[in-house]
Amino acid sequence: MTASSAGRTGQPARRERLNPLTSLAAAAATAAITTAAGSWQLSLTVIAACLGLSVAGGTSRRVLPAAAAVLVPFALSLLVLHGLFFPEGRTVLAEWGPARITAEGLHFAGQRILQLAAVVLALLLFSFSVSVPDLVAALSARGVQGRFAFVLASTLTLLPAIAGRARRIRQAQESRGLVISRNLVSRVGAFRLQAVPLVLSLIEDAGTRAAALEARGLGNSGPRTSYREVPDSGQQRTARAVLVLAALAAVVLRVVQPGA
Amino acid sequence: MSSPSLTLPSQERPAARRRLLEILGALAIAATYVYLVLNQPADITGGPGSASALIALTGFLAGAVLLIVAVLPTLPASTLVLIPVALVLNIVLGQFVGSTLVPFYLDAIGTVLIAVLAGPAAGAATGALGSIVWSFFNPTVLPFAAGAALIGCLAGLAARYGLFRRFYLAPVAGFVTGIIAGVVSAPVAAFVYGGTSGVATGAIVSAFRAMGDTLLAAITKQALISDPMDKAIVFTIVAILVYALPRRARQQFPFIRRYRVLAGNGKAADTQAGAAVEDTAQGTAHGSARNG
Amino acid sequence: MAAAGLAVPTDGPVLAAGIRQFTFHDAQAPALRNVAVSFAPGSFTAVLGASGSGKSTLGRLLAGWLPPGGQGTLAGFLELSGARLEFDGGSRDPRIDPAQWGRQVGYVPQDPAAVLSTVRATVAEELAFGLENAGTERGDMKAAVEHTAGLLGLRSQLDQDPARLSGGQLRRLAIGCAIIPGPPVLVMDEPFASLDAAGTTELATLVRDLLKRGTAVVILSQAVDPLLMEADAWVVLSGGTVAAGGSPAGVGHHSGLLPRAIRRLGGVEAAAPSVPRPAERQSGPPALQLRGVSFAYPASPASRMKRRKSPQAGELNGPALVLQDVSLAVHPGEIVAVTGPNGAGKSTLLRHFNGLLRPATGSVAVCGADIAKAPVGKTAASVGLLFQQPRDQLFERTVLREVRFGLDRLVGPAMAAHHAAAALRAVGLGDAAEEHPAELPASAQRLLALATVLARRPAILALDEPTVALDGDGLALLDAAVRSAAAGGAAVVLVTHELGYARSAAHRILALDGGRLVPA
Repeated sequence: MTASSAGRTGQPARRERLNPLTSLAAAAATAAITTAAGSWQLSLTVIAACLGLSVAGGTSRRVLPAAAAVLVPFALSLLVLHGLFFPEGRTVLAEWGPARITAEGLHFAGQRILQLAAVVLALLLFSFSVSVPDLVAALSARGVQGRFAFVLASTLTLLPAIAGRARRIRQAQESRGLVISRNLVSRVGAFRLQAVPLVLSLIEDAGTRAAALEARGLGNSGPRTSYREVPDSGQQRTARAVLVLAALAAVVLRVVQPGA
Repeated sequence: MSSPSLTLPSQERPAARRRLLEILGALAIAATYVYLVLNQPADITGGPGSASALIALTGFLAGAVLLIVAVLPTLPASTLVLIPVALVLNIVLGQFVGSTLVPFYLDAIGTVLIAVLAGPAAGAATGALGSIVWSFFNPTVLPFAAGAALIGCLAGLAARYGLFRRFYLAPVAGFVTGIIAGVVSAPVAAFVYGGTSGVATGAIVSAFRAMGDTLLAAITKQALISDPMDKAIVFTIVAILVYALPRRARQQFPFIRRYRVLAGNGKAADTQAGAAVEDTAQGTAHGSARNG
Repeated sequence: MAAAGLAVPTDGPVLAAGIRQFTFHDAQAPALRNVAVSFAPGSFTAVLGASGSGKSTLGRLLAGWLPPGGQGTLAGFLELSGARLEFDGGSRDPRIDPAQWGRQVGYVPQDPAAVLSTVRATVAEELAFGLENAGTERGDMKAAVEHTAGLLGLRSQLDQDPARLSGGQLRRLAIGCAIIPGPPVLVMDEPFASLDAAGTTELATLVRDLLKRGTAVVILSQAVDPLLMEADAWVVLSGGTVAAGGSPAGVGHHSGLLPRAIRRLGGVEAAAPSVPRPAERQSGPPALQLRGVSFAYPASPASRMKRRKSPQAGELNGPALVLQDVSLAVHPGEIVAVTGPNGAGKSTLLRHFNGLLRPATGSVAVCGADIAKAPVGKTAASVGLLFQQPRDQLFERTVLREVRFGLDRLVGPAMAAHHAAAALRAVGLGDAAEEHPAELPASAQRLLALATVLARRPAILALDEPTVALDGDGLALLDAAVRSAAAGGAAVVLVTHELGYARSAAHRILALDGGRLVPA
């Protein structure tokens, strides 16, 4: 794994050598095992490892805001919910009317937040470091996966394009004198006026694209090939199998184990 | 001429294997739900990583994946190409409306639109795929894939059985869909996350908890407050959009033609229905020509 | 120039169609009837017809993009490489396999962007998409991509993101996607629309190359581009049926067989200016005045989430100025044309007139008042801006409602009805008041968008590429409408890449070159 990568810059080169399915398997297995284990020590370890990897890989600037956007409201919600209201709690730390801060509640909330943070970071680390074209190429080999890969990649491509089109429509309509005032009726009206051309043009485009892609063999059920070469190796295939088995084992052990 | 055939075999029926996968997927979701509801009281404070969380995750996720595996290969290219568009619309339109009518999520407009145009199977696949693709940015939505698939499927069924032919029935269908979807999704929030993803919804759950409800009961009640209204609005928006589309654009969908999803076959009836829909929606914006 | 004619047809046509009738589901009248066409290997055919004549429907039928039974029913036959498929509109009709058909008939629709798969990261992979689906070996794919890119002149763009190509490059990429499997027939719908002179020349070279290789080329067009004079045959469509057919010389302009609606490009219409200059041009303040306007788009935000950019596709150092110290004064009654190649910043300039874009330095004054602080919706009362894409601007469910939108507030209900009717008459849509805007042909959609601007009787009329997608009739209506608006005291600025039209329509022609506005 540490073979010298001549002529390439250090970090990206090392990541490119990893098959996207391998990193996906690693992220998913980490998420599954952390959830199954339910131990805050493991959660903390995973969080630290993910943070370290993302800093080392140079993706921390995108991973951290995305993770914060997900985790902060979740954490606040859980803290309010279980910190203040936890009828099952016994050790009362403070009390105002119906609200009781209990040690059990805080403990429960804390554990859930840590566990969630570990899972979210592991998965986001994957999505922000993987090369989407590589992932699509790796998935495209077979039927369902190929179609799933199409949906994934097409969504990511269309998102900025459609947002841009929505902006153009708003500009065109403002140029016709559409003034959106603050009241609700005006906004609902404006929504209809802007959504209709957007949806209509998207449906028309999709019709053309469907015909184009059908003519280019999208519906073909036979074998496909891939133009893009995705790195892979026997070692990585083994690693993927081990990761998947480990995740399954962790889940099965936890479920079979006589529950709490 | 040694060229391969230029034509397709006359008609193909969905293979029995696909059917089986669909049924298995639905069963997985239903069984998971029943199991969770029956076993919840002993488990809720059992600590994170409880068996329930894993069962909820695996059961719902496996069900959603089975549905995708069953449906995705059968969809025609015209529907497949629309799914990414729907997923983007979920985000773009959801954001627009979200910024104007704050208290709801409205993140299923694209899913319901596909369901109405292309049927329940396409709707279910769109819902499930939407959650999976969105989990790329926000992994916490992944376990809700089953609920999203259910919304798409129910919306498609509503369209198929004519609930979009009358404008006032669309929000009703949305309301009912919201009840079912909310109830089914509640165990995910309860067991996997131990709460909800937003501060506002968290406050509502807190209120029920303060009254002594179990976590599942509190979250289910919260879902029953938010989801039906949310879905009623989404279904209404979709009805407005679909009726505003020109006939040519609508008629390109075989599902709409075969089940007469929308009001009016004749041109006159059609424009009238459209007028009724839009005037209702626009309220006072255009006071003229109100034929409700 | 009968080089194409040398490729002698051997045994019969490679593609032929005999259409007794093709009707879209739910339509009252057939879109096509009694159309018989056939194309020999290596032949060059132009299908000419005005907007709404059924050209695109015919093209899509020929290319398998509109499989009979899907969106409409066909009575007649399609014949490809000797295999003949008979249709009678019943349930036992054969069903076309679009993938197999597409390997033998390439099709390029009007909007080349719609062809892109949206799931491939580079031009090379986009080209290979169809081959991947057919299971071609990687070595063969690489060879085919290289070969096709060479033919298209896209070799240096192979590693680029398809979304970042220019209009002309995108058109060539779409053609490449259609021809990479080596189909014996290529059908192109309006390939010249919105291409500038350089793009048109490149396309003409490409067509000649394909013809030399024995590909039958069919071009659907509503205008007679010079290249089409080289065609072996013209087929003139009108109202969904064949109105005339034969050699370009036989059907050409002097025969009287070509409907007036079919325009002729690059011909003699670029004559001396026929527009009388307004007498009182210099008197009074200008309606529109730009002083020293400079503008640059902000540096494009970091590449999207997970698209890692290849290092060679690096960005420009610092934002380039799209407009540099542009000053312009347009007086009431004056018509000014701004020309320049695609991507020169013409549309950017227009967007400054009503504040959609704000200048980095300099100022814009409308009717003597600086618009720096005014919201776009307010300025829009004095500035009517017509965009290139009509469907972005149209949103109502009937033509009449579309034109009346916002008029009531502007001039009161009584006047609104009058203005709306007058504007619709001016663009020849007086009889279409109750139709759905999205169901009009492309030319009529553009005219409707023009009517929505005219109905507001703005002091300044700003038109972005108004001739694109207009057929001959539409162009005449546009011309008349622009002149009568100017005669009524409006200041008109039109932006176009068609120098001929600019010469015939404007009092003054300016060129946008390297961000600077200079007299042409």
